[in-house]
Amino acid sequence: MKRFAAAHALSATSVFSLLIVTAVFAAARSPQTAQAPAQAGAPVSFTRDIAPIVFRSCAPCHHSGEAGPFPLLTYGDVKSHARQIADVTRKRLMPPWLPSTDGLPFQEDAHLSEHAIALFQKWLDDGLAEGNSSDLPPVPKFSSGWQLGQPDLVLHAASPFTIPASGSDVYWNFVFRPALKSERFIKAIEIHPGDKRLVHHANLLVDRTQSARRQEKSPGSGFAGMELQIESESFDPDGHFLFWKPGSSPIVEPPGFALRLDPENDLVLNTHLQPSGKPEAVQPTIGIYFTDEPATRFPVLLQIENDRALDIPAGDGNFTVSDEFTLPESVQLLALYPHAHYLCRDMLAVARLPGGSEKTLIHIPRWDLNWQAVFRLAQPEPLPRGTTLVMRYRYDNSSGNIANPNNPPQRVTAGNRAVDEMAHLWLQVLPETQPGRQRDPRMVLQEALARHHIENNPADFEAHYNLAAMLLARGAGDVAVLHYQSALDLRPGDATVENALGAALLSSGKLPDAIKHLDAATTARPEYFDARYNLGIALASAGDFARAAEEFAAAAKLKPEDSGAEANLGAALAELGQKDQAIAHFQRALQLDPKNPLARENLDILQKAP
Amino acid sequence: MIQPRPSRTKQARCLVLYGALSVSAVVCTTIAHANARFAQKSSAENLDGKPLDPFVISVDRVVVLVFVRTDCPISNRYAPLLQKLSEKYRGAAEFWLVYPDRAETASEIKAHLQDYHFSIVALRDTDHALVRRAHATITPEAAVFDSSGRLLYHGRIDNAYEDFGRSRPTATKHELEDAIRSAVAGKLIDPDHASAVGCYISDLK
Repeated sequence: MKRFAAAHALSATSVFSLLIVTAVFAAARSPQTAQAPAQAGAPVSFTRDIAPIVFRSCAPCHHSGEAGPFPLLTYGDVKSHARQIADVTRKRLMPPWLPSTDGLPFQEDAHLSEHAIALFQKWLDDGLAEGNSSDLPPVPKFSSGWQLGQPDLVLHAASPFTIPASGSDVYWNFVFRPALKSERFIKAIEIHPGDKRLVHHANLLVDRTQSARRQEKSPGSGFAGMELQIESESFDPDGHFLFWKPGSSPIVEPPGFALRLDPENDLVLNTHLQPSGKPEAVQPTIGIYFTDEPATRFPVLLQIENDRALDIPAGDGNFTVSDEFTLPESVQLLALYPHAHYLCRDMLAVARLPGGSEKTLIHIPRWDLNWQAVFRLAQPEPLPRGTTLVMRYRYDNSSGNIANPNNPPQRVTAGNRAVDEMAHLWLQVLPETQPGRQRDPRMVLQEALARHHIENNPADFEAHYNLAAMLLARGAGDVAVLHYQSALDLRPGDATVENALGAALLSSGKLPDAIKHLDAATTARPEYFDARYNLGIALASAGDFARAAEEFAAAAKLKPEDSGAEANLGAALAELGQKDQAIAHFQRALQLDPKNPLARENLDILQKAP
Repeated sequence: MIQPRPSRTKQARCLVLYGALSVSAVVCTTIAHANARFAQKSSAENLDGKPLDPFVISVDRVVVLVFVRTDCPISNRYAPLLQKLSEKYRGAAEFWLVYPDRAETASEIKAHLQDYHFSIVALRDTDHALVRRAHATITPEAAVFDSSGRLLYHGRIDNAYEDFGRSRPTATKHELEDAIRSAVAGKLIDPDHASAVGCYISDLK
């Protein structure tokens, strides 16, 4: 009998923390100035001077059903908040827009011109005249349904989350299970987070390994948490930001930039919610728009960070954290997502170009977590190989910072909770493609970044893990094992790492060690399909077919639709001489996947055998 | 329940206010003016459209007026705290929710009370008589009057909001409750008149 052919070990998964995902505004709104400036001395009127600014800059959020707490569509609406509008525009609190003008130009730039701000004040001073109705520009029409039309697939959160009436802000994660029948490509995802007055922002992440489900108490219940860690396949990092904030338009990906979604993938919506004064239930919905055009261009998300340097003494009002990373590849910069918590005050990101000149990418002089956003560049910015990305964030841990979550101030270090801090800068870049290149430039970037993170922080779990996965993929299995071991030392007993390390040892033929770590993975997480499957392979490779059959049977039970587990189970049973049972499992494997070569080949052998 | 009344002369009251406020002289005359005006006419009404004078109903008790608006998000976020305080000081301090926006109808206000689980009695102050008496300029803003109807404090509820969009995770100063406690105890208070943050009442014409 032909010895059963061991199917490939399942690839290890890689852990990219907070890979926040998607893509590009359909119509960028350019920063504006008031259209028809009031004539010198003439009183400012609503219809001629104020309405054009309000309709463009306020109404998109300030209308019924949107995030703005009151509508600003009519003369009466605006007049009844006139002093407030003059006040918040003068202080540049509204419209919310964090970047200063000394960085790159961004899409959806919401800056008001000095002239527009002066007009609001002058209107108030002049007595709030309505003006001639003939001057009134068309009142904007907003539709409350899907902005991009009826989606191809609509997913509702399985259960609502109820925000308490009062208290501090709440962070909640909803897990969506699209359960596609086959691989699909997505050109747009429209996020309807629920009552928009309650949702400050939301990030959607693709969870390729159903790792978020494990955090739910019961399926569909969702789970708390400000920051998410999602495991994703090692070489398919999702290079998209899928971000929702009040007033933002859903984004349709440009041709070639589609996002792949596989049948087993979940989508996780991380939401920042704000109590309103009464208990409120939030149950988000997302609409998915497919495209037949597969992805051909692969942006990548790079995370510059220096969390390890975050150790801010209580009372320190001026604590700086910086990081520098030199690009090993030429890229086009597409978008920026700076991220920190409540102590951060000032954020600066600069590109130091190979010639030595510097260019400010983004400067946020007054960081406010509540208005965090993905900032998409108006034009892609070329950053040649050798460009150093410099991040410099300043923190205020004094009691003078009213957002300080600790009263009195406490020493603060990096972490995922609202009382901890972060120093992250995500960049969405499109690597330059060069024909004939052997290595995927995304991997070159991610490997360099992982090494950089380890230099910054030898105890960076994700960096060791990701570096190992990339080393393994390019055939450097021995070094990969060392980094998996480092990751395991940092998180002893972690099922994902035990499995990855086991798979790496298995692929280099170190069977006893592989079995030891895969055993540990299945003990840590008994319902871990990949680990059971890999353990089955390792045991079978070591000749222990009885135990191998047990592991494959357990794997097949965990994932009844997996033809590989059935085929390997059949092979192990065949080795044990259980011919009839083996045939049954090979047939089952072929039902699931008529092309399964392992099942077909072994079935042929068994059926021909006397 | 009758509250202990501080035995002070009218002159002494003014001196208290002198000590507390830089614009004390103005305040003294304004209060006198407001009281006089109020004595003449109270235009506040209940949700059935009937005239209602909270200072007559709550005579000899501490009166707390809280100016709110149905569409003011900061007002709304204070709903649970206001409800809690009104229950905590029930019998000693009488709370009234005052809606100064003429455009807000009685039925909108009733829906608002229900939505935010208020059991505090609501008043419509369409002529702004109570606004003037309390020197209120913002929603949400609270005013505390002693049992003789004298304005002791008006301003923010606490320091959770420093400005629009600038808030503390939890308040560290609780001006309204401090003022109520002092008023109930018949103590002289130093009302640190911190400005409220919210929607301007003067925007309502």
